Amino acid sequence: MTSINTDRQSLQDEIANLEQRLQDLKSKLANNPQPPPSADPSNPIALHALLLLSDSALPLGSFAFSSGLESYLAHHRPSPSPHNHYSNSSNSHISPSISSTSTPTTPIQSLHHFLRLSLSTIASTSLPYVLAAYRSPDEIETLDNDFDASTPCTVARRASVAQGRALLAVWERAFRGIYGDGGGDMDAVAVEALGGFQRRMREEVGSGSEKGKGGVGGLGLEGVDGQGLLNAHLAPLWGVITRVLRVPIRDAAYLFLFSHARTVVSAAVRASVLGPYQAQGVLASAELQKRIRELVGEYWDVGIGGAGQTVPVMDLWVGRHEKLYSRIFNS
Amino acid sequence: MSPFGASTSRPGHGTIVLSILPPSTPVLETLSYQYPLKLIAPDAIPLPEPSQIGDFTDGPTLPYSPLLVHTVFILTYGGGLVAGDTIDLHITLAPTTRLALLTQGSTKIFKTPSRDLVSGQRMSVDLSPSSALCYLPDPVQPFAHSAFSQVQTYNLEGGQGSLCVCDWVCEGRSARGEKWSFYSYASKNEVWAVSSNGARRLLLRDNLILDKSDSRAGGGFVERMDGFGVFGTLILYGPVFSALGSYFLSEFTSLPRIGGRKWDIGVAEAELSAGEMRRVTRQRQEAEDGLIWTAASHRGFVLVKFGAREVEGARRWLSGMVRGEGSVVRSFGERALLCLK
Repeated sequence: MTSINTDRQSLQDEIANLEQRLQDLKSKLANNPQPPPSADPSNPIALHALLLLSDSALPLGSFAFSSGLESYLAHHRPSPSPHNHYSNSSNSHISPSISSTSTPTTPIQSLHHFLRLSLSTIASTSLPYVLAAYRSPDEIETLDNDFDASTPCTVARRASVAQGRALLAVWERAFRGIYGDGGGDMDAVAVEALGGFQRRMREEVGSGSEKGKGGVGGLGLEGVDGQGLLNAHLAPLWGVITRVLRVPIRDAAYLFLFSHARTVVSAAVRASVLGPYQAQGVLASAELQKRIRELVGEYWDVGIGGAGQTVPVMDLWVGRHEKLYSRIFNS
Repeated sequence: MSPFGASTSRPGHGTIVLSILPPSTPVLETLSYQYPLKLIAPDAIPLPEPSQIGDFTDGPTLPYSPLLVHTVFILTYGGGLVAGDTIDLHITLAPTTRLALLTQGSTKIFKTPSRDLVSGQRMSVDLSPSSALCYLPDPVQPFAHSAFSQVQTYNLEGGQGSLCVCDWVCEGRSARGEKWSFYSYASKNEVWAVSSNGARRLLLRDNLILDKSDSRAGGGFVERMDGFGVFGTLILYGPVFSALGSYFLSEFTSLPRIGGRKWDIGVAEAELSAGEMRRVTRQRQEAEDGLIWTAASHRGFVLVKFGAREVEGARRWLSGMVRGEGSVVRSFGERALLCLK
C-alpha cells in the first residue's frame, strides 16, 4: 500500500516541479522582447544600425572623458624624490599601494589594470540600466531618475549627462527621420517612449526650470508625485535608442561596454600612456573580448536594484578628478 | 503536542518607535527585539543648550521645550553575526524626534560553511518631517570566508527629515593578515521620498557589491582594493546636518591640488590662523594615513566617500571632521559620536 502512495506522491511532486518550471519559462518569455533579428549579413538593418553606433565619429563627445583614468594616473605617480627642495609629500595624495609589489609598474600594465577595474565598474553600475531600458522602454523616465539617484559623483554625472544629451541630439537630428516615422515593423512602444522623453525635456528647458541640484539641506521635492527633473543619462537612453534602431539586445550591451573600453584606451593614448598601435592591440585582445562577454552574461539578469559599485576605489578616483592640478579631460 | 501556543516571535526582528507624548515630549514608545538582535536604550539626554525646535524644523513649529535626544545601541550576541543570521530592524520617528543609533564595537561577520549561506541585516527607517537620525556605527568587519548583505532603507515622508548616516567596512582581521578575504559583502543604502498618496520616488541609492565570485573574471579581488583597508560612505541630508554638509564641501574644495608643486614652503606656520592650522595638520595626517576622500553635493544630499589604509586612520579623520565642525555635538550631543572615539 505504502509503495503505491509514495509512487503517487513522487508523481505529484514531479508534476508540481514541472508546472513550476513552466511558469518560470513563461514569465521569462513574457519579459523578453520579441525575438530580435541577429546582426548578420542576412539582416542588414540591424547590422547597419550597429555600425552607425559603433562609429567613433558618432558625435557623443566621449573623447572629453577619461572615466577616471587621469585621476588614477595622478594618484599612482611616484612622489618626487625627497631631496628635491620644492617637493612636499602633502600635496600628492599617493594611494597606499604604491609600494606594494602586487600593483602594476609600467604604464601599460597600469592601463590594463585600470581598464579591468573601469569595465567592471561600468558594467555593475550602468549595464543593468541599459538592459532594463531596452526591455521596458516605457519606463525610461523612472530609469533616468533612478540612475541619477545612483550616481552621486558630480564628475561621473556630468560625463553621463553630457553623453546622454548628445545621443539624444543625434537621434533628434539624424536618426529620427529614418527610424522614427512610419515603416512596417518599427518598435512603437520604444519610439513613443523616446518621443515622450524628448518632449518633457524640451518643456523643462523651455520653462526655464532651475535644476536646483546644488545646495545642502532638504530641498523638499519638485513635484513629489513622481515628476522630478529629467537628466538624460547615457545608459538608459542607450538602451532605448538601440531598441528603436532594432539592434539585438546582446549586441547593444556588448557595444556599450566596448565603447567604454575604446574611450578609456583612446584617453590613454592622448595621455601618452601608450601608443596608437599598442592601443589597437589592447582593443583587439582576446582578454578584452572574453571580459566583455563575461560581463554581459553576468549582468544579464541583474535588475536595477542590484546595480551598484564593485570597485569602491573608483568612486574616490573619479570624485577627486577636480582636485587634479592639471587636467586634459573633463572626467 | 506542545502545551504552549504557537510562538509569534520572529528571530532577528526588532522595532523602535519614537513618538511624541503630548504636548511635545519625545518618548520611546516601542523598543522590541528578538535574538540574535539586541537593543539597549539608555536614558534620553536633554541637550545642554536646548534650542528652539523651530531652528531646525521645516514642519509645524511646536512650543519651546528642552530637546531630548534618544539613543539606542544595536547589539548582536557575541558581537557579530553567524552564517544565516538575519537582523530585521524597523524604526519609526515621529515629527521633531531625534534618534542616535550606535554600536558597541564593530559588527563582526563570522565565516560561513558555504558561500550561499549569507547573513544579513535589514534596516528600514520611516522619518517624519523635522525628525532626525544620526547613525554613526563602528565599521563592519567581515572575517575571512564570510558572506554578508545589508540593506538600509530610509523613507522620508514628503522628502523631509534629516539624516546623517555612515556606512563603512574594513578588510577583516588585519592583525591576522585578512585582506578582503571574505566571499561576499554587499551594502545598499536607499533614500526614498514618500508622498502623501503613497507614491515613492528614489532620491539616492548607494550600493556596494564586493563579491569574490566575479574575481575570476575581473582580476584579483585584493588588487582592486588598491591597498586600502577600509572604505566608507557618509550620507548627509536635511536641515539639521546642512552645516556639516557645507563644511565637508568647503574642506574638499580646500584640499591641495594633486600633482601640483608647493611653492610656499617658506611660509611661516605662525602666520596661519587657528582654523587653517587645524586644516594643515589634518591634511598631513590624511597623507600619513593614506586617507583619500571626496565630497559631492547631489539632489540635496552631501555624499562623502573615503578610504584609508587602516581603520584607525579613517576613524581619526571622521572624528576630527565631525567634531571639528561641531554642529552634530550641538544638535545630538557628544554621545552620538561614541563610535568615532
